[in-house]
Amino acid sequence: MRTSFPRISVILVTALVVLAPLGLVFYQSFLDNPFFAPKIQFTLSAYEYVLTDEDFHSAFLNSLMIATGMTAIAVPLGGILAFLVVRTDLPGRRWLEPLLLLPVFLSPVVLAFGYVVAAGPVGFLSLPAEAWFGFVPWDIYSITGLVLVAGLTHVPHVYLYASSALRGVSSDLEEAARVGGAGPWRVAIDVSLPMVMPALLYAGVLVFFLGFELFGLPLVLGDPQGILVMSTYLYKLTNLLGTPSYQLMAVVVVALVFVTFPLVVLQRTLLRQAGKYVTMKGKGARQTPLKLGGWKWLALGLLALWLVATVVIPLAGIGLRSVVSSWGRGVTLADQLTLAHYRDLWEYPNLIRGILNTLGIGVIGGALSVACYTAVALAAHRWPSRWVRLLDFLVLVPRAMPGLVAGLAILWIFLFVPGLGYLKSTMISVWIAYSVVWLAYGMRLISSALLQVAPELEEGARVVGAGPHRVNLDVTIPLIRFGLLGSWLLIFMIFVREYSTGIYLLGPGTEVIGSLLVSLWGTGDIDLISALSVINVAMVGVGLLAALRLGVRLHG
Amino acid sequence: MAELSVENVRLRLGGMEILKGVSMELERGQVVALLGPSGSGKTTLLRAVAGLEQPFAGRISLGGRPVFDAGARIDLPAEKRNLGLVFQSYALWPHRTVFDNVAYGLKLRGVGSGEIRQRVEQVLGQIGLGQHAGRFPHQLSGGQQQRVALARALVYSPPVILLDEPLSNLDAKLREEARAWLRELIVTLHLSALCVTHDQVEAMAIADRILLLNAGQVEQAGTPQEMYGAPKSLFVAEFMGANNRLDGTLAERRDGYAALAVAGKAQDEPLLWGRMQGERAAGGPATGIVRLESVRPADGPGENRLGLELVTSMYLGERWEYLFHRGPLKVRAYGDRELAPGRHWLEFPPDRVWLF
Amino acid sequence: MRNTLLGAAVAGLLALPAMAQTVPEGYPASYKDTIAAAVKEGKVVVYSSTDAAQVRPLLDDFKTLYPNVTVEYNDLNSTELYNRFISEAAAGAGSGDVLWSSAMDLQIKLVNDGYAQAYESPELKALPQWSVWKNEAFGTTFEPVIFIYNKRLVPDGDVPKTHADLAKLLEAKAAEYKGKVTAYDPERSGVGYLFVTQDAAVSPGARDLFRAFGKSGIKLYTSAGAMLERVTSGEHLIGYNIFGSYALTRSKKDPNIGIVYPEDYTLVMSRVAFIPKAAKNPNAAKLFLDYVLSKRGQTLVANQAELFSIRDDVAGEATAKAVNAKLGDKVKPIKVGPELLSTLDQTKRLTFIKQWQQAMQGK
Repeated sequence: MRTSFPRISVILVTALVVLAPLGLVFYQSFLDNPFFAPKIQFTLSAYEYVLTDEDFHSAFLNSLMIATGMTAIAVPLGGILAFLVVRTDLPGRRWLEPLLLLPVFLSPVVLAFGYVVAAGPVGFLSLPAEAWFGFVPWDIYSITGLVLVAGLTHVPHVYLYASSALRGVSSDLEEAARVGGAGPWRVAIDVSLPMVMPALLYAGVLVFFLGFELFGLPLVLGDPQGILVMSTYLYKLTNLLGTPSYQLMAVVVVALVFVTFPLVVLQRTLLRQAGKYVTMKGKGARQTPLKLGGWKWLALGLLALWLVATVVIPLAGIGLRSVVSSWGRGVTLADQLTLAHYRDLWEYPNLIRGILNTLGIGVIGGALSVACYTAVALAAHRWPSRWVRLLDFLVLVPRAMPGLVAGLAILWIFLFVPGLGYLKSTMISVWIAYSVVWLAYGMRLISSALLQVAPELEEGARVVGAGPHRVNLDVTIPLIRFGLLGSWLLIFMIFVREYSTGIYLLGPGTEVIGSLLVSLWGTGDIDLISALSVINVAMVGVGLLAALRLGVRLHG
Repeated sequence: MAELSVENVRLRLGGMEILKGVSMELERGQVVALLGPSGSGKTTLLRAVAGLEQPFAGRISLGGRPVFDAGARIDLPAEKRNLGLVFQSYALWPHRTVFDNVAYGLKLRGVGSGEIRQRVEQVLGQIGLGQHAGRFPHQLSGGQQQRVALARALVYSPPVILLDEPLSNLDAKLREEARAWLRELIVTLHLSALCVTHDQVEAMAIADRILLLNAGQVEQAGTPQEMYGAPKSLFVAEFMGANNRLDGTLAERRDGYAALAVAGKAQDEPLLWGRMQGERAAGGPATGIVRLESVRPADGPGENRLGLELVTSMYLGERWEYLFHRGPLKVRAYGDRELAPGRHWLEFPPDRVWLF
Repeated sequence: MRNTLLGAAVAGLLALPAMAQTVPEGYPASYKDTIAAAVKEGKVVVYSSTDAAQVRPLLDDFKTLYPNVTVEYNDLNSTELYNRFISEAAAGAGSGDVLWSSAMDLQIKLVNDGYAQAYESPELKALPQWSVWKNEAFGTTFEPVIFIYNKRLVPDGDVPKTHADLAKLLEAKAAEYKGKVTAYDPERSGVGYLFVTQDAAVSPGARDLFRAFGKSGIKLYTSAGAMLERVTSGEHLIGYNIFGSYALTRSKKDPNIGIVYPEDYTLVMSRVAFIPKAAKNPNAAKLFLDYVLSKRGQTLVANQAELFSIRDDVAGEATAKAVNAKLGDKVKPIKVGPELLSTLDQTKRLTFIKQWQQAMQGK
């Protein structure tokens, strides 16, 4: 009976922004030519081609394997690391936390290339290993290597969800187990982690999903062995017939959306079951760190090992590459040291603009996106309605479109929808593309902040006389301001490292570092790439430091 | 005219019917307590009055003006009902000072800042927190927070204030003081209030009338004295006060009284007489309820007396509490001295025993 | 950088009255109208697959020459460039005024599909005949397709001088070179496909070479960057069909890269430029195209961008002149013309790819 008009309109706008590009892609998948070609016919031939293509099958299987494998690695490891950092007296956990999150913010291409320099067949770690063992005991170009790298680098995603859930669990439960005779390890496995099972499962589904749309890592690490995954298969389709065949690419996207669908349903089911863990309260749970005792060093060792494998090694790789002119077998690195790449970088014509734009899209665009995500999250906030269920699905859908396709589809929207043309090739279009692609991630951050707000605080304001909008402005938003600040920071770092989405929307004046990197990768200027990456990483690092100084709680 | 009237309100939550047709009235200057076990729907009813839950049938009017009417499709949102609500958790906004928490309702009503200052100071003075206006909620004790929550609901003089378990978050000693303070405030300010509580003592202390809810329906309504002294059902009798429950068979009926053969009765033991509440044929099972304070240790066998073994005596300070048993039968009673172990006689005055 | 820009701007302002009227030497007098119209247009939008960093000297020099015509340089990869152009053309939205791409076949397809306008450039007579089609598509560079090798790790005796040498080396030293050769993947890379089909057309021994690649477990990539980097690091030892321009740039910074111009035949590719019919700034586009083809522009193309000048009258290492002098008639330029369309013929493409896949299995 009560009017829900503002909520519905926000959801409808979201639906429009999400479904317009996707709808276009769907439509394209049933055509024999680009949808804007003068002569087009409806046909299923694109489906026939893709679904019977052996490469598609192998790409699908590889993606499935990688997604499964990385989920199997990332979820337990992320859960355990979250337990160690959040619930125990692990030494140095304050400053370990930002390091834990670092891989989320590194461009996967950069990360992968760092691994090549460090642990590739002639990497600076592989050569000594080869001298020692007579062979290199690892192969980062294999599926196993890919799964391992992908799994390790996605630990932070699980960590983010698991840690914020763990913060809500009252210490009593753990202490009860401790008193009952369980060591810290048993407490984690038997009490703490089962308590946050819904969060872990949710994160697991998300990681599985990210596994399916992995692009940067397989692009660099899968290349030498020709390992195709869904997204690199998409790339292959671009060239296979000489001219880009949009209908074939569209079919792959449709296939990805169909993989999404059951996952979203699964996610919803998992969240519904979360109700049985009612002891988790948003607030007031008393927390005392669990004493690790002698386990401390083992735990620290585990954490350090992961950090070395996931952060130190690739960063050392990329950092080293940026200060040498040559590397690899038979090179004495000390003779090759140079700062020339950074000097050359300074000569790079669009660099300053690229850095400024990157900062701009991160800082201003990030803030605007957080504002939009907040509006959408508030529209669904405490509203048991079918519309909200629709929204849950909507926000995940863009994740099914690899950034490159999403970018192309959004370019089409700007081109073919009358009145939008003047926005094309402005930072606004880039911002819209980024916001749509990262919708699911941002929404999740904000909804989890909203979950922390006790309903009475809002109801109190209603009863006192504030309408729904006043409640949002005066109570809800001020209450989640730290969560919003944290989300802004995360979105800033994600936007700063984003590389594929903006490619079609770039022009003079809209270049960002991520896309410059991809463009340089094509022609081989790896000297510049590595120097630029180091600067990119430094920007992310400064962002993290700033966050810590400001006392922003990264977990929202 | 009733300040608040609720007519046949029905409400579903998550597919379960929580309120199954509840009606009640609240007169001006009166305090009505909604009492009931958890899950009886008392908080839901309060929230429906506040406009925080949406019934699917019935009417709710404030001062004669309908704020909800399923038939006429009227449903005023919470902020338009001009009520005051004190939450169980107080729900003070942690990002605002005490002053700002209290002032918010006035600000929303477009009151000028000078008047806001004056009225907030006045109400903070009334609740004894005049010195704490600049503090944040987390800097206050539980009792102080409870008062701020009350001030926040009172400051714009709503016709009715709603209290959801207002004292349940305070510890036992503080709770008794707060109860007296709250009753005093209500009386001196001539407030009309609807108060949810699961504690019958609290309900009787604060309220002029009590509405006892059971599984979404009104079990009995009346003054505290009626509720305590003349329960109409077993549920009410058991819910109010501290009771002994005596199960058995109905042996005899006479003039509104009946005799209960308590389960496990010895051959020579007398029947237990009590007031017959409701209709029940002789020979069927029946339950006797008697308040703890009505049971008296007696010096020997006699009318309406039962002999039981003393299990233990507990010293409560101002009196002793005894626990007796005989087979499955357990009886508690009060007295003013420690009893010797062994068999004792207990008298159950017939007018104080209700048979259901 | 700011200083150079500022300097250029000041120089431009000072030179303004004289420059605006100056018609380049040898151009018809009517060219001053083109210049005037271009100045009125004020800018030229270039879609290019060449890194902005690489052509920066050209862009700076163009700015000194025509300070009132701003170059909006869009740096895209060749597939993105194509996608973006046809989308924008179909929408009737503004697009590039000059399209300049290394994907010769895609450029020819666009010209063949009628997107280009004909332009009688005053520089035409200085260009080789094979590099211009219908006065619409213009080859702008002369980039040999070469071998690279790792100077540290490949002994002098092993360095292949011809395609046949390479095949022989892979057979003779199969163990040493197992998985050590790298090339573009024709299935995933447009230029990769173009080069190997040209190999097959020019050389009867191409199939044997491909088979030798297959047996040696060649590693196929989609980007020149990946290949150059992995050859200098020693992960791979020899790179096949690499853009001479990128290799030359890299070898100047990194002495570990060795370059071989195959002596039996050396393919030469040329970045193709055209002016779309729908160009919003056609006169500025003409100025830019003429500048890139001019002796002044080509001198920078050769000596600063290391993209190899297509003109015979430009001297230096990275020029047609030098490559021709070294290899004579062994130079096999890929003709800018309708022949390239057959690369895009889907049936032929799939057939060739099937053969290629068989060769990769050593068959």
